[in-house]
Amino acid sequence: MKKTFKPGWFGLAMAALLPALASAEALHADKPLVKGDEYLVVGNYPDNLHVVDLKSDTLFKSCPVPGSVGPATLQVSPDNTVAYLVTNRFDEVHGIALDTCQVVFQAKMEQKEKERAKALFAISLSNDSKQLYVIQTPTTLNTDHYVIGEPRLAVYDTASGLDAKPVRTLPVPRQVTVMQTGQDGSLYMVGPDIYKFDPQSGQYTVAIPSRHWKRPRYAPPDVLSVWPLKNAADDFTILYTTAKFKGKTDDPATADWIYGYFNVNLKTGKTETRDFGPFTEIYFTGVRSPKDPNLMFGVLNRLAKYDIKQKKLLAAADIPHSHYTIAMNKDGSKVYLGGTWNVLSVFDAERLKPVASITLPGGDMGAASPQIFTR
Amino acid sequence: MKHLKAINQKAQLLDQAAAQDKVEDVVAMSSVVGCTSTFDPGWEVDAFGGVASLCQPMEADLYGCADPCWWPAQVPDTMNTYPDWSKQAASTKDDWRNLGTVFPKD
Repeated sequence: MKKTFKPGWFGLAMAALLPALASAEALHADKPLVKGDEYLVVGNYPDNLHVVDLKSDTLFKSCPVPGSVGPATLQVSPDNTVAYLVTNRFDEVHGIALDTCQVVFQAKMEQKEKERAKALFAISLSNDSKQLYVIQTPTTLNTDHYVIGEPRLAVYDTASGLDAKPVRTLPVPRQVTVMQTGQDGSLYMVGPDIYKFDPQSGQYTVAIPSRHWKRPRYAPPDVLSVWPLKNAADDFTILYTTAKFKGKTDDPATADWIYGYFNVNLKTGKTETRDFGPFTEIYFTGVRSPKDPNLMFGVLNRLAKYDIKQKKLLAAADIPHSHYTIAMNKDGSKVYLGGTWNVLSVFDAERLKPVASITLPGGDMGAASPQIFTR
Repeated sequence: MKHLKAINQKAQLLDQAAAQDKVEDVVAMSSVVGCTSTFDPGWEVDAFGGVASLCQPMEADLYGCADPCWWPAQVPDTMNTYPDWSKQAASTKDDWRNLGTVFPKD
Protein backbone atom coordinates (compact mmCIF):
# COMPACT_ATOMS: atom_id res chain seq x y z
CA MET A 1 0.00 0.00 0.00
CA LYS A 2 1.47 3.35 -0.99
CA LYS A 3 1.89 5.64 2.01
CA THR A 4 1.05 9.32 1.57
CA PHE A 5 2.95 11.82 3.64
CA LYS A 6 1.06 14.90 4.78
CA PRO A 7 3.23 17.80 6.00
CA GLY A 8 2.73 18.95 9.58
CA TRP A 9 1.10 22.22 8.57
CA PHE A 10 -1.69 20.31 6.86
CA GLY A 11 -3.06 19.06 10.16
CA LEU A 12 -3.01 22.56 11.62
CA ALA A 13 -4.74 23.99 8.55
CA MET A 14 -7.47 21.35 8.71
CA ALA A 15 -8.03 21.97 12.42
CA ALA A 16 -8.47 25.66 11.76
CA LEU A 17 -11.18 25.12 9.15
CA LEU A 18 -14.29 27.16 9.72
CA PRO A 19 -17.47 25.16 10.36
CA ALA A 20 -18.81 23.75 7.11
CA LEU A 21 -22.26 25.27 7.54
CA ALA A 22 -23.00 28.65 9.04
CA SER A 23 -26.23 29.55 10.74
CA ALA A 24 -28.96 29.56 8.11
CA GLU A 25 -31.02 32.60 7.37
CA ALA A 26 -34.72 32.58 6.73
CA LEU A 27 -35.67 31.08 3.38
CA HIS A 28 -39.02 32.16 1.91
CA ALA A 29 -39.92 33.45 5.37
CA ASP A 30 -43.24 34.92 4.27
CA LYS A 31 -44.33 32.06 2.04
CA PRO A 32 -47.61 30.79 3.51
CA LEU A 33 -48.34 27.09 3.66
CA VAL A 34 -51.01 25.85 1.24
CA LYS A 35 -54.33 24.63 2.60
CA GLY A 36 -54.75 20.91 2.03
CA ASP A 37 -51.04 20.25 1.47
CA GLU A 38 -49.06 17.90 3.67
CA TYR A 39 -45.82 19.04 5.33
CA LEU A 40 -43.04 17.83 7.60
CA VAL A 41 -41.57 20.32 10.04
CA VAL A 42 -38.32 19.77 11.96
CA GLY A 43 -35.53 21.73 13.67
CA ASN A 44 -31.78 21.31 13.13
CA TYR A 45 -28.58 22.90 14.43
CA PRO A 46 -27.58 25.54 14.96
CA ASP A 47 -30.84 27.48 14.87
CA ASN A 48 -33.18 26.39 12.05
CA LEU A 49 -36.75 25.28 11.63
CA HIS A 50 -37.48 23.72 8.24
CA VAL A 51 -40.75 22.99 6.51
CA VAL A 52 -40.69 20.26 3.85
CA ASP A 53 -43.44 19.84 1.27
CA LEU A 54 -44.36 16.14 1.09
CA LYS A 55 -45.92 16.32 -2.41
CA SER A 56 -42.53 17.07 -3.94
CA ASP A 57 -40.27 16.00 -1.02
CA THR A 58 -38.44 19.32 -1.25
CA LEU A 59 -37.65 22.11 1.17
CA PHE A 60 -40.54 24.59 1.27
CA LYS A 61 -39.18 27.20 3.67
CA SER A 62 -36.80 27.73 6.61
CA CYS A 63 -37.18 29.91 9.68
CA PRO A 64 -34.51 31.00 12.17
CA VAL A 65 -35.00 30.02 15.81
CA PRO A 66 -33.60 32.36 18.50
CA GLY A 67 -30.58 30.88 20.26
CA SER A 68 -29.78 27.21 19.96
CA VAL A 69 -32.49 25.01 18.52
CA GLY A 70 -31.70 21.86 20.49
CA PRO A 71 -33.27 19.57 21.58
CA ALA A 72 -36.00 20.75 19.12
CA THR A 73 -38.69 18.53 20.62
CA LEU A 74 -41.56 19.82 18.55
CA GLN A 75 -45.34 19.89 18.41
CA VAL A 76 -47.48 21.61 15.81
CA SER A 77 -50.55 23.41 17.12
CA PRO A 78 -53.77 21.52 16.25
CA ASP A 79 -54.80 24.45 14.00
CA ASN A 80 -51.53 23.78 12.08
CA THR A 81 -50.29 27.36 12.27
CA VAL A 82 -47.49 27.37 14.88
CA ALA A 83 -44.59 25.04 15.63
CA TYR A 84 -43.64 24.92 19.31
CA LEU A 85 -40.13 23.74 20.11
CA VAL A 86 -38.19 23.03 23.28
CA THR A 87 -34.98 25.02 22.68
CA ASN A 88 -31.79 26.35 24.24
CA ARG A 89 -30.70 23.23 26.04
CA PHE A 90 -34.17 22.41 27.41
CA ASP A 91 -34.37 25.87 29.05
CA GLU A 92 -36.99 27.48 26.83
CA VAL A 93 -39.95 26.96 24.53
CA HIS A 94 -40.36 28.97 21.33
CA GLY A 95 -43.44 29.17 19.11
CA ILE A 96 -42.73 29.96 15.43
CA ALA A 97 -45.61 30.94 13.12
CA LEU A 98 -45.23 28.68 10.10
CA ASP A 99 -46.62 31.16 7.53
CA THR A 100 -44.44 34.12 8.54
CA CYS A 101 -41.49 32.70 10.56
CA GLN A 102 -42.36 35.17 13.32
CA VAL A 103 -41.58 34.17 16.88
CA VAL A 104 -45.07 34.38 18.39
CA PHE A 105 -44.37 32.67 21.71
CA GLN A 106 -41.42 32.34 24.04
CA ALA A 107 -41.14 31.16 27.63
CA LYS A 108 -38.25 30.36 29.95
CA MET A 109 -38.83 27.27 32.03
CA GLU A 110 -37.37 28.74 35.24
CA GLN A 111 -40.03 30.51 37.28
CA LYS A 112 -38.04 32.17 40.03
CA GLU A 113 -34.62 33.37 41.06
CA LYS A 114 -32.01 30.70 41.76
CA GLU A 115 -34.12 28.17 39.91
CA ARG A 116 -32.94 26.10 36.99
CA ALA A 117 -35.78 24.30 35.25
CA LYS A 118 -35.62 22.01 32.23
CA ALA A 119 -38.37 20.82 29.91
CA LEU A 120 -37.30 17.23 29.25
CA PHE A 121 -39.25 16.49 26.03
CA ALA A 122 -42.77 16.78 27.50
CA ILE A 123 -44.65 19.36 25.46
CA SER A 124 -48.16 19.33 24.01
CA LEU A 125 -51.08 21.61 23.21
CA SER A 126 -54.78 21.76 23.94
CA ASN A 127 -57.08 20.74 21.09
CA ASP A 128 -58.18 24.34 20.54
CA SER A 129 -54.49 25.45 20.26
CA LYS A 130 -55.07 28.00 23.04
CA GLN A 131 -53.05 26.32 25.76
CA LEU A 132 -49.51 24.98 25.76
CA TYR A 133 -48.53 22.28 28.25
CA VAL A 134 -44.93 21.72 29.31
CA ILE A 135 -43.55 19.59 32.12
CA GLN A 136 -40.77 21.43 33.94
CA THR A 137 -38.27 19.77 36.26
CA PRO A 138 -36.89 22.43 38.62
CA THR A 139 -33.83 22.57 40.83
CA THR A 140 -33.07 25.39 43.27
CA LEU A 141 -29.40 26.34 43.12
CA ASN A 142 -28.45 27.50 46.60
CA THR A 143 -24.92 28.73 47.26
CA ASP A 144 -23.74 25.52 48.81
CA HIS A 145 -26.31 22.91 47.81
CA TYR A 146 -29.01 22.13 45.27
CA VAL A 147 -32.58 21.24 46.14
CA ILE A 148 -34.46 19.09 43.68
CA GLY A 149 -38.02 20.28 43.17
CA GLU A 150 -41.15 18.43 42.22
CA PRO A 151 -41.85 18.26 38.49
CA ARG A 152 -44.76 20.42 37.44
CA LEU A 153 -47.06 20.78 34.44
CA ALA A 154 -46.91 24.43 33.39
CA VAL A 155 -49.96 25.59 31.43
CA TYR A 156 -49.49 28.63 29.19
CA ASP A 157 -51.89 30.77 27.23
CA THR A 158 -50.47 30.58 23.70
CA ALA A 159 -51.53 34.20 23.09
CA SER A 160 -49.09 35.38 25.79
CA GLY A 161 -46.40 36.27 23.30
CA LEU A 162 -42.82 36.65 24.49
CA ASP A 163 -41.58 36.10 28.05
CA ALA A 164 -44.76 34.13 28.76
CA LYS A 165 -45.57 32.96 32.28
CA PRO A 166 -47.73 29.96 33.15
CA VAL A 167 -51.37 30.58 33.99
CA ARG A 168 -51.25 27.61 36.37
CA THR A 169 -48.98 24.76 37.38
CA LEU A 170 -49.94 21.29 38.58
CA PRO A 171 -47.85 18.54 40.16
CA VAL A 172 -47.13 15.62 37.83
CA PRO A 173 -45.54 12.18 38.26
CA ARG A 174 -41.75 12.03 38.07
CA GLN A 175 -39.76 10.81 35.05
CA VAL A 176 -42.35 11.69 32.42
CA THR A 177 -40.74 12.25 29.03
CA VAL A 178 -43.19 12.70 26.13
CA MET A 179 -46.87 13.44 26.08
CA GLN A 180 -49.73 13.85 23.65
CA THR A 181 -53.22 15.31 23.99
CA GLY A 182 -56.26 13.11 23.52
CA GLN A 183 -59.40 14.28 21.78
CA ASP A 184 -61.13 14.50 25.15
CA GLY A 185 -58.49 16.98 26.36
CA SER A 186 -56.56 14.52 28.56
CA LEU A 187 -52.80 14.42 28.45
CA TYR A 188 -51.25 11.01 27.90
CA MET A 189 -47.89 11.14 29.68
CA VAL A 190 -45.17 8.52 29.11
CA GLY A 191 -43.28 7.88 32.32
CA PRO A 192 -42.75 4.86 34.54
CA ASP A 193 -46.29 4.05 33.42
CA ILE A 194 -48.38 5.79 30.80
CA TYR A 195 -50.71 8.15 32.60
CA LYS A 196 -53.95 9.82 31.58
CA PHE A 197 -53.80 13.26 33.15
CA ASP A 198 -56.54 15.89 33.45
CA PRO A 199 -54.82 19.27 32.88
CA GLN A 200 -57.71 21.07 34.59
CA SER A 201 -57.93 19.15 37.86
CA GLY A 202 -54.46 17.57 38.02
CA GLN A 203 -56.02 14.15 38.64
CA TYR A 204 -54.52 11.19 36.81
CA THR A 205 -54.88 7.46 36.36
CA VAL A 206 -52.68 4.82 34.80
CA ALA A 207 -53.80 4.41 31.19
CA ILE A 208 -51.22 1.71 30.38
CA PRO A 209 -49.00 0.09 33.01
CA SER A 210 -45.40 -0.08 31.83
CA ARG A 211 -42.79 -0.49 34.56
CA HIS A 212 -45.57 -1.94 36.74
CA TRP A 213 -47.26 -4.11 34.15
CA LYS A 214 -48.72 -7.39 35.32
CA ARG A 215 -47.80 -9.83 32.59
CA PRO A 216 -46.94 -13.26 33.96
CA ARG A 217 -43.52 -14.57 32.86
CA TYR A 218 -42.59 -11.22 31.27
CA ALA A 219 -39.72 -9.03 32.45
CA PRO A 220 -40.55 -5.35 33.00
CA PRO A 221 -40.31 -3.52 29.66
CA ASP A 222 -37.42 -1.33 28.57
CA VAL A 223 -38.72 1.85 26.97
CA LEU A 224 -36.92 4.72 25.23
CA SER A 225 -39.40 7.48 24.51
CA VAL A 226 -38.18 11.02 23.85
CA TRP A 227 -39.99 11.77 20.58
CA PRO A 228 -43.71 12.66 20.78
CA LEU A 229 -44.74 11.02 17.52
CA LYS A 230 -48.17 10.03 16.33
CA ASN A 231 -49.54 9.14 12.91
CA ALA A 232 -52.37 10.58 10.80
CA ALA A 233 -54.78 8.05 12.34
CA ASP A 234 -54.01 9.56 15.77
CA ASP A 235 -52.14 6.47 16.96
CA PHE A 236 -49.58 7.48 19.59
CA THR A 237 -47.16 4.54 19.61
CA ILE A 238 -44.31 3.81 22.02
CA LEU A 239 -42.01 0.82 21.53
CA TYR A 240 -40.80 -1.53 24.26
CA THR A 241 -38.47 -4.50 24.50
CA THR A 242 -38.90 -7.26 27.01
CA ALA A 243 -38.07 -10.87 27.81
CA LYS A 244 -40.67 -13.61 27.91
CA PHE A 245 -39.39 -16.36 30.17
CA LYS A 246 -39.69 -20.05 29.42
CA GLY A 247 -39.07 -23.13 31.50
CA LYS A 248 -39.17 -23.46 35.25
CA THR A 249 -37.30 -20.27 36.22
CA ASP A 250 -37.20 -16.70 34.87
CA ASP A 251 -33.80 -17.10 33.26
CA PRO A 252 -32.91 -14.33 30.75
CA ALA A 253 -30.48 -16.72 29.06
CA THR A 254 -33.32 -18.92 27.79
CA ALA A 255 -36.02 -16.27 27.38
CA ASP A 256 -37.59 -15.11 24.13
CA TRP A 257 -36.60 -11.47 23.58
CA ILE A 258 -39.47 -9.51 22.15
CA TYR A 259 -40.39 -6.18 20.60
CA GLY A 260 -43.79 -4.73 21.40
CA TYR A 261 -45.67 -1.47 21.48
CA PHE A 262 -47.91 0.58 23.70
CA ASN A 263 -50.53 2.44 21.75
CA VAL A 264 -53.02 5.14 22.66
CA ASN A 265 -55.47 6.11 19.98
CA LEU A 266 -55.84 9.79 20.77
CA LYS A 267 -59.25 10.01 19.07
CA THR A 268 -60.97 7.17 20.93
CA GLY A 269 -58.76 6.78 24.02
CA LYS A 270 -58.38 3.05 23.28
CA THR A 271 -55.13 1.62 24.64
CA GLU A 272 -53.11 -1.45 23.65
CA THR A 273 -50.07 -3.36 24.84
CA ARG A 274 -48.99 -5.81 22.18
CA ASP A 275 -45.91 -7.81 21.17
CA PHE A 276 -45.15 -7.53 17.46
CA GLY A 277 -41.94 -9.40 16.75
CA PRO A 278 -38.65 -10.83 17.97
CA PHE A 279 -36.02 -8.46 19.40
CA THR A 280 -33.03 -8.92 17.10
CA GLU A 281 -32.00 -5.32 16.42
CA ILE A 282 -32.78 -1.97 17.97
CA TYR A 283 -35.37 0.56 16.83
CA PHE A 284 -35.60 3.94 18.49
CA THR A 285 -39.07 4.82 17.20
CA GLY A 286 -41.88 3.02 15.48
CA VAL A 287 -44.97 4.06 13.54
CA ARG A 288 -48.03 2.14 12.48
CA SER A 289 -49.32 2.71 9.00
CA PRO A 290 -52.29 5.11 9.11
CA LYS A 291 -53.85 3.05 6.31
CA ASP A 292 -53.11 -0.43 7.66
CA PRO A 293 -52.59 -0.43 11.44
CA ASN A 294 -51.40 -4.05 11.25
CA LEU A 295 -48.13 -2.78 9.77
CA MET A 296 -45.43 -1.53 12.15
CA PHE A 297 -42.35 0.28 10.86
CA GLY A 298 -39.25 0.78 13.02
CA VAL A 299 -35.86 2.40 12.51
CA LEU A 300 -32.40 2.89 13.93
CA ASN A 301 -29.71 1.26 11.77
CA ARG A 302 -32.18 -0.32 9.37
CA LEU A 303 -35.71 0.41 8.31
CA ALA A 304 -37.91 -2.57 9.15
CA LYS A 305 -41.54 -3.49 8.53
CA TYR A 306 -43.51 -5.98 10.63
CA ASP A 307 -46.85 -7.73 10.41
CA ILE A 308 -48.19 -7.22 13.92
CA LYS A 309 -50.73 -10.11 13.86
CA GLN A 310 -48.18 -12.61 12.58
CA LYS A 311 -45.36 -11.10 14.68
CA LYS A 312 -43.20 -11.38 11.61
CA LEU A 313 -40.56 -9.21 9.96
CA LEU A 314 -41.88 -8.61 6.45
CA ALA A 315 -39.02 -6.59 4.99
CA ALA A 316 -35.98 -4.56 5.95
CA ALA A 317 -33.89 -1.98 4.11
CA ASP A 318 -30.38 -0.69 4.61
CA ILE A 319 -30.22 3.03 5.30
CA PRO A 320 -27.28 5.37 4.66
CA HIS A 321 -26.69 6.12 8.36
CA SER A 322 -28.60 5.74 11.62
CA HIS A 323 -31.88 7.60 11.95
CA TYR A 324 -33.73 8.06 15.23
CA THR A 325 -37.21 8.95 14.05
CA ILE A 326 -39.79 7.55 11.70
CA ALA A 327 -42.99 9.09 10.41
CA MET A 328 -45.43 8.37 7.59
CA ASN A 329 -47.49 10.50 5.29
CA LYS A 330 -51.25 10.31 5.71
CA ASP A 331 -51.91 7.87 2.86
CA GLY A 332 -49.27 5.49 4.25
CA SER A 333 -47.31 5.44 0.98
CA LYS A 334 -44.04 6.96 2.22
CA VAL A 335 -41.85 6.64 5.29
CA TYR A 336 -39.76 9.61 6.45
CA LEU A 337 -36.62 8.93 8.48
CA GLY A 338 -35.26 11.84 10.53
CA GLY A 339 -33.07 12.79 13.46
CA THR A 340 -29.24 12.42 13.76
CA TRP A 341 -27.66 14.28 10.81
CA ASN A 342 -29.18 16.82 8.43
CA VAL A 343 -30.68 14.43 5.89
CA LEU A 344 -34.28 13.21 5.74
CA SER A 345 -34.37 9.81 4.03
CA VAL A 346 -37.65 8.98 2.27
CA PHE A 347 -38.68 5.39 1.47
CA ASP A 348 -41.56 3.81 -0.38
CA ALA A 349 -43.59 2.09 2.35
CA GLU A 350 -44.68 -0.85 0.20
CA ARG A 351 -41.32 -1.99 -1.20
CA LEU A 352 -39.01 -0.21 1.30
CA LYS A 353 -37.06 1.31 -1.58
CA PRO A 354 -35.45 4.76 -1.23
CA VAL A 355 -37.34 7.44 -3.14
CA ALA A 356 -35.78 10.72 -2.00
CA SER A 357 -33.13 12.23 0.20
CA ILE A 358 -33.67 15.77 1.48
CA THR A 359 -30.58 17.60 2.73
CA LEU A 360 -31.57 20.34 5.12
CA PRO A 361 -29.50 23.53 5.26
CA GLY A 362 -27.55 23.62 8.52
CA GLY A 363 -26.28 20.86 10.76
CA ASP A 364 -27.53 17.91 12.76
CA MET A 365 -31.12 17.29 13.74
CA GLY A 366 -29.79 15.33 16.73
CA ALA A 367 -32.73 14.38 18.95
CA ALA A 368 -35.21 16.63 17.11
CA SER A 369 -38.79 15.42 16.57
CA PRO A 370 -40.08 15.85 13.02
CA GLN A 371 -43.86 16.22 12.78
CA ILE A 372 -46.06 15.59 9.74
CA PHE A 373 -49.37 17.42 9.35
CA THR A 374 -51.84 18.61 6.75
CA ARG A 375 -52.59 22.32 6.69
CA MET B 1 -24.93 -3.81 45.22
CA LYS B 2 -22.74 -5.85 47.59
CA HIS B 3 -19.56 -5.12 45.64
CA LEU B 4 -20.16 -1.37 45.57
CA LYS B 5 -19.10 0.90 48.42
CA ALA B 6 -21.13 4.06 49.06
CA ILE B 7 -18.87 7.09 49.26
CA ASN B 8 -21.28 10.00 49.06
CA GLN B 9 -24.55 10.93 50.74
CA LYS B 10 -26.81 9.86 47.91
CA ALA B 11 -25.20 6.44 47.66
CA GLN B 12 -25.49 6.02 51.43
CA LEU B 13 -29.20 6.83 51.15
CA LEU B 14 -29.55 4.04 48.58
CA ASP B 15 -27.77 1.61 50.90
CA GLN B 16 -30.05 2.71 53.72
CA ALA B 17 -33.17 2.18 51.61
CA ALA B 18 -32.03 -1.32 50.73
CA ALA B 19 -31.15 -2.12 54.37
CA GLN B 20 -34.55 -0.90 55.56
CA ASP B 21 -36.18 -3.16 53.02
CA LYS B 22 -37.43 -0.19 51.07
CA VAL B 23 -35.99 -1.74 47.95
CA GLU B 24 -39.13 -0.92 45.99
CA ASP B 25 -38.16 2.75 46.34
CA VAL B 26 -34.96 2.16 44.42
CA VAL B 27 -35.63 1.42 40.76
CA ALA B 28 -33.58 1.26 37.62
CA MET B 29 -33.77 4.55 35.77
CA SER B 30 -34.81 3.82 32.23
CA SER B 31 -36.00 7.38 31.76
CA VAL B 32 -33.95 10.15 30.24
CA VAL B 33 -33.82 12.68 33.06
CA GLY B 34 -30.88 14.92 32.25
CA CYS B 35 -27.43 14.76 33.78
CA THR B 36 -27.17 11.63 35.82
CA SER B 37 -25.37 8.35 35.75
CA THR B 38 -26.93 5.73 33.57
CA PHE B 39 -25.71 2.18 33.03
CA ASP B 40 -27.69 1.65 29.86
CA PRO B 41 -25.40 0.13 27.25
CA GLY B 42 -25.25 1.74 23.84
CA TRP B 43 -22.05 3.71 23.49
CA GLU B 44 -19.14 1.30 23.72
CA VAL B 45 -21.25 -1.81 23.33
CA ASP B 46 -24.85 -2.40 22.29
CA ALA B 47 -27.63 -4.17 24.20
CA PHE B 48 -26.59 -7.50 22.67
CA GLY B 49 -22.97 -7.20 23.80
CA GLY B 50 -21.79 -6.44 20.27
CA VAL B 51 -21.38 -3.34 18.11
CA ALA B 52 -23.83 -3.88 15.24
CA SER B 53 -26.68 -2.04 16.99
CA LEU B 54 -24.60 0.99 17.89
CA CYS B 55 -25.49 4.03 15.84
CA GLN B 56 -23.66 4.19 12.54
CA PRO B 57 -21.43 6.13 12.31
CA MET B 58 -20.76 7.25 15.85
CA GLU B 59 -21.09 10.93 14.92
CA ALA B 60 -24.75 10.39 13.97
CA ASP B 61 -25.44 9.59 17.63
CA LEU B 62 -23.35 12.31 19.18
CA TYR B 63 -25.78 15.18 19.80
CA GLY B 64 -28.78 12.94 20.41
CA CYS B 65 -26.78 11.56 23.32
CA ALA B 66 -24.78 14.59 24.41
CA ASP B 67 -27.69 17.06 24.51
CA PRO B 68 -29.78 15.29 27.15
CA CYS B 69 -26.56 14.47 29.02
CA TRP B 70 -27.12 10.77 28.37
CA TRP B 71 -23.48 9.72 28.68
CA PRO B 72 -21.95 12.51 30.74
CA ALA B 73 -18.65 10.72 31.20
CA GLN B 74 -17.95 10.51 27.49
CA VAL B 75 -18.79 14.04 26.33
CA PRO B 76 -18.91 17.45 28.01
CA ASP B 77 -22.18 18.38 29.66
CA THR B 78 -23.75 20.72 27.10
CA MET B 79 -26.97 20.89 29.11
CA ASN B 80 -25.46 23.04 31.87
CA THR B 81 -21.70 23.27 32.24
CA TYR B 82 -20.33 23.51 28.68
CA PRO B 83 -23.24 24.82 26.58
CA ASP B 84 -20.95 26.08 23.80
CA TRP B 85 -18.89 22.92 23.34
CA SER B 86 -20.52 22.16 19.99
CA LYS B 87 -20.93 25.75 18.78
CA GLN B 88 -18.35 25.34 15.99
CA ALA B 89 -19.70 21.95 14.94
CA ALA B 90 -23.34 22.24 13.92
CA SER B 91 -22.74 19.35 11.54
CA THR B 92 -20.86 16.49 13.21
CA LYS B 93 -20.09 14.69 9.96
CA ASP B 94 -18.38 17.82 8.59
CA ASP B 95 -17.03 19.58 11.66
CA TRP B 96 -16.21 16.91 14.24
CA ARG B 97 -12.61 18.17 14.28
CA ASN B 98 -13.90 21.33 16.02
CA LEU B 99 -15.08 19.33 19.03
CA GLY B 100 -12.33 19.69 21.59
CA THR B 101 -11.52 18.44 25.04
CA VAL B 102 -12.70 20.55 27.96
CA PHE B 103 -10.81 21.34 31.11
CA PRO B 104 -12.04 22.69 34.45
CA LYS B 105 -11.31 26.36 34.86
CA ASP B 106 -9.64 26.15 38.23
